[in-house]
Amino acid sequence: MSLLSILIFLPLFAGLIIVVLPSSVREGYKYVALAAVIIQVLISAYIYLHFNGNVFTGIADQNKYQLVERLPWISLNLGAMGKLQIDYFLGLDGLSMPFMLLTSVVMLVALLASWEIKINLKGYFALFLLLDTAILGVFSALDFFLFYIFYELMLMPLYFLIGIWGGVRREYAAIKFFLYTLFGSVFMLLVIIGLYFSVTDPATGYHTFNMLSMMDPKNYVEGSIFSALAHNELFGVSARLLGFIVLFIAFAIKVPIVPLHTWLPDAHVEAPTPVSIILAGILLKVGGYGILRVCVSIFPDAAIQSAWWLGLIGIVSIIYGALNALAQTDLKRLVAYSSISHMGFVLLGIASITPEGISGAMMQMISHGFLSSMLFFLVGIIYSRVHDREIPHFRGLALIMPKFSAFIMIAFFASLGLPGFSAFIAEAFSLIGAFNSESINGLLPRWMAVCGTLGILLSACYFLWTLQRMFFGETRLFGGEKWKIQLTDVNAREVTALCILTAFALVLGIMPSLAFDKMNASVLELIRLVNLK
Amino acid sequence: MPLLTFFINVFVPGKFTRSGFCAIASIAISLLCSLLIFIAMWNQPFIHVQTNWFTIGSWSLNVGILLNNLSVLMLPLVSGIALLVHIYSTKYMQGDPYLHRYWAYLGLFCFSMLGLVIADNLLLIYICWELVGFSSYLLIGFWFTRNAAVQANKKAFIMNRLGDIGFLTGIMILFSQFQTLDVISLFGEKGLVGNAIVTGGVWTSGLHHMPAGWLTFAGLAFFLGAVAKSAQFPLHTWLPDAMEGPTSVSSLIHAATMVAAGVFLLARIYPLFNDTVLIVIAATGAFTAFMAGTIALTQNDIKRILAFSTISQLGFMILAMGVGASASSLFHLGTHAFFKCLLFLGAGAIIHEMAHLKEKTGLDYDPQDIRNMGGLRKYMPVTFVTMAIASLALIAIPLTSGYLSKDAILIESFEWAEGKGGWYRLVPYSAMITSWLTAFYISRLIFKVFFGKFRLKEKVGLHHVHEAPPAMKYVLVVLSLFCLFPVFSLNPFMFEDAWVIQGFPQADNMTRINAFHTVVPAAVNLISVFLIYLCFLWYGSNKPAPDFSKNGLFKFSQQQWFFDKAYNTVFVAGVLSFSRFLYQFDLIIVDGIVNLFGTIGRGFARISDWFDRNIIDGLVNLIGYLAGKLGKLIRKFQTGRLQQYLVTMLLIILTLFIYKYYTAAI
Repeated sequence: MSLLSILIFLPLFAGLIIVVLPSSVREGYKYVALAAVIIQVLISAYIYLHFNGNVFTGIADQNKYQLVERLPWISLNLGAMGKLQIDYFLGLDGLSMPFMLLTSVVMLVALLASWEIKINLKGYFALFLLLDTAILGVFSALDFFLFYIFYELMLMPLYFLIGIWGGVRREYAAIKFFLYTLFGSVFMLLVIIGLYFSVTDPATGYHTFNMLSMMDPKNYVEGSIFSALAHNELFGVSARLLGFIVLFIAFAIKVPIVPLHTWLPDAHVEAPTPVSIILAGILLKVGGYGILRVCVSIFPDAAIQSAWWLGLIGIVSIIYGALNALAQTDLKRLVAYSSISHMGFVLLGIASITPEGISGAMMQMISHGFLSSMLFFLVGIIYSRVHDREIPHFRGLALIMPKFSAFIMIAFFASLGLPGFSAFIAEAFSLIGAFNSESINGLLPRWMAVCGTLGILLSACYFLWTLQRMFFGETRLFGGEKWKIQLTDVNAREVTALCILTAFALVLGIMPSLAFDKMNASVLELIRLVNLK
Repeated sequence: MPLLTFFINVFVPGKFTRSGFCAIASIAISLLCSLLIFIAMWNQPFIHVQTNWFTIGSWSLNVGILLNNLSVLMLPLVSGIALLVHIYSTKYMQGDPYLHRYWAYLGLFCFSMLGLVIADNLLLIYICWELVGFSSYLLIGFWFTRNAAVQANKKAFIMNRLGDIGFLTGIMILFSQFQTLDVISLFGEKGLVGNAIVTGGVWTSGLHHMPAGWLTFAGLAFFLGAVAKSAQFPLHTWLPDAMEGPTSVSSLIHAATMVAAGVFLLARIYPLFNDTVLIVIAATGAFTAFMAGTIALTQNDIKRILAFSTISQLGFMILAMGVGASASSLFHLGTHAFFKCLLFLGAGAIIHEMAHLKEKTGLDYDPQDIRNMGGLRKYMPVTFVTMAIASLALIAIPLTSGYLSKDAILIESFEWAEGKGGWYRLVPYSAMITSWLTAFYISRLIFKVFFGKFRLKEKVGLHHVHEAPPAMKYVLVVLSLFCLFPVFSLNPFMFEDAWVIQGFPQADNMTRINAFHTVVPAAVNLISVFLIYLCFLWYGSNKPAPDFSKNGLFKFSQQQWFFDKAYNTVFVAGVLSFSRFLYQFDLIIVDGIVNLFGTIGRGFARISDWFDRNIIDGLVNLIGYLAGKLGKLIRKFQTGRLQQYLVTMLLIILTLFIYKYYTAAI
């Protein structure tokens, strides 16, 4: 067992412990989970510190990955058809390593937010930890089949977490979320199978699900469906382009992009606070990570072909999401739409295929992971106190909840890209990369980046407006004096969680090299790979 | 050694922010360092120290400190005024429950402003630029329970954000073209911007090129940043509203330092601007100066008058940048910082007294309205004298610092227009008219406040009103010394002898036309003196002033040219209703399609359910039914009678036999 496997299966193990524990110790469940997540944070911190980003660039070469673990898993002899081989294949490079750390930290925060969960604790914490395992698995799997299994495994716990512990319309939201995501991934399975029959392992000569082999055009069987040389067409479209589009849609639903985003506000609003945190903090990043790891790496030619459209989708998401956020009266919906807007920068950065753009996109994902978790955590605090989060129902909260207001100001200003916080670096470099693209590779026109800056302006508008409406002025509450008593300021547990997130956002904003140094070489390698085509 | 002082300089104000004493001590250290640096560095070759911040791809971002004449001039200016305002605030803000936050915010502001002037990298400048905006946001909304204050700080931040996106766009263009954001390598002598060439509509630098339109666009984008920060038309409306903050803040941030950051930025990146952009700059400056001057004529809130006056003076600086007189522009920046700071602090002292009076008497009136004041000269002599000096400097009366700097701008703009001819002459003439307007509105303020009779006298006795406390009083006196000419030049009439002007490269594209050097100041001053006298007649005596309030122009000016209303109805309401429309679109169309798929799916499910139940299951049932029927039929054969069996058997055998027989034949 390598460190990576321990990291992945530790939560599962803890989950099993919770399942077998008698319900007389139900108050202890959360501490078991907490212990598991803390160990997980420590392991990922260890991995981060020992990660050598410059030598081990990753992307298409197994030897350049760290903590590689490759074991034959399913091996079937199919006679004349060769051998069906699925590997248990894990590894980390500069693209995935930051997400391991992000996942661990966000999980810790989500767990701290889970203190508010009161019903059916056993089921809740078991599912929570199962979800944790699945997410860590997605970020480290290098075998496409394994990746897919983890990817699908994420859905099931989420469905129950939203559907059982959620808000009023939880069933609707859960089923919508589940079907939407499943819709994307079912077609993904088709492409995976197509890729399997197109690619052979150079070592054994058999077909393989190995993602790294899929990145090398030499491994494609001559004349196979996804071979770059064969120029196969399906329904009048180049097969490789079609494969790219299908995979892209699967991941783009997760990101989410406009117009495939409508599951997100519903799911976020109905989900309990910790699940919102996980959804916004990590799940959306699975989409962005998938686009980089799978779409762009395996179909670089198609990625270049469709870069313009990717950029356009990014811009539309940025502006559309921001304008929608401006129209919200529910604080949680506002944050959900702001997520859509901020994830647009990710897509824009990726589409540029420049070092600045992709690094910016990576940074944006990490930074948004921390900041959106913080925002949802803060919204959850208000909701747990008075079970209301309509913006017009609150006024002058700064007077009765000063510490809370300080945190919300930090979160808002960090999210709207105030320098000193990570989002500023991320957004600035996504945009710089996008602008630079026309000079370097001619993929994105310059006006896209210029339009993207509007998103920065609009984010200031909706955040400041909310700040003014809810927190400043004389205190006036919808629920009157009763609310005034219920709205207590943040307690020690909440302060801990919020401080962790603030610290990460701040440190990354002041010393972005902490993240950039680890992923720089991988980003360059990815760009080299794309430009080979 | 300078490096060490920089670090103290930069980090001290940010750190000790808990109490006023620490804040003052740290800003005093900053001032000391700044002065040392200033003495050591003025007119010396620049110092440039860098360190690597982070690396993206193969491109490293180095950030560091750049000290040339421009930054070492700004350093003592910023820290000096900041120190005076800090001292002033100890009294002015006394007793505020959130005082520690006030000091913290001020510390953040000083840190970012000092950072802004010494940053050597456009990205770093941008960072400090936004932090300055952020601290201004915090300070405007310092009294966050006041609705107007939080509206104002939101407006200020968003309008500044609009400028920021211009700045960011400019950064993107320059980065894309030159692969560096370092100020020296971009704008220094033989910098990349200077070496880039525009030929045949293409802007080329080394291997990189883009259409020449982007050069103009870059200039305009940076200028947009400056327009927002320096409150120029059309983004000026945030500054008057920003007066909702404490007066000491208005004085430091919204009069002396932060708003000058736009002018500073223009000076930093000056080589970037081509002719088109410069003309836009000059025209914007001239128009803003004129517009703000006319608005200031009719306002009644003492801080608003000063705010519009600030906008107007900033317009002068921007105008000077546009006509190529960057040295004069910076000179005016320096002189203006002192006299406008003084005017605001004086106004603060008056408001302080008026507010105290209000508290003591329990009357409900606006302590900032000059219509409620009058005759204060006898009760607040120091305030009166110092403010009068500052006003004279603002009007640009000889022997004051303002005379030197403003006449420099006027003369140079005349010379510039002479070189261009035609419509360009509008610029200097409007500037001249504006300086007459200046004379009128500031003397109106002074006379209304300090002369005549106290207008609330019938209701309250004046014995409560007294001079400002020492901490405030001496600050005013110190500032008033800086409004006089010897600080800047030994020759009170020739701006060219001022050391500030000599510290910067001279504009060389203009020919000196001697006639302007005598005619312009004379014209300005004669008419100004006349206007001051007119003001005295109207407002300085006890006779009622002529009433213009029925006049259309008066209303136009009083309503601030209706900019706020227009912006609110067009932009704010427009964007909001558009966003609501989009949200409905999102709910009904986008989400509707998703739900439609869900409904269609359910519909299909029902159809297939029906099909399953009736057709497929029906078939199964049919088979069962048939089998049952068959069984019943066959049961009838099972009668148990042997004879019947035999007959049946015989029949079957016969049938088989016949069948066999005939098939064989076939």
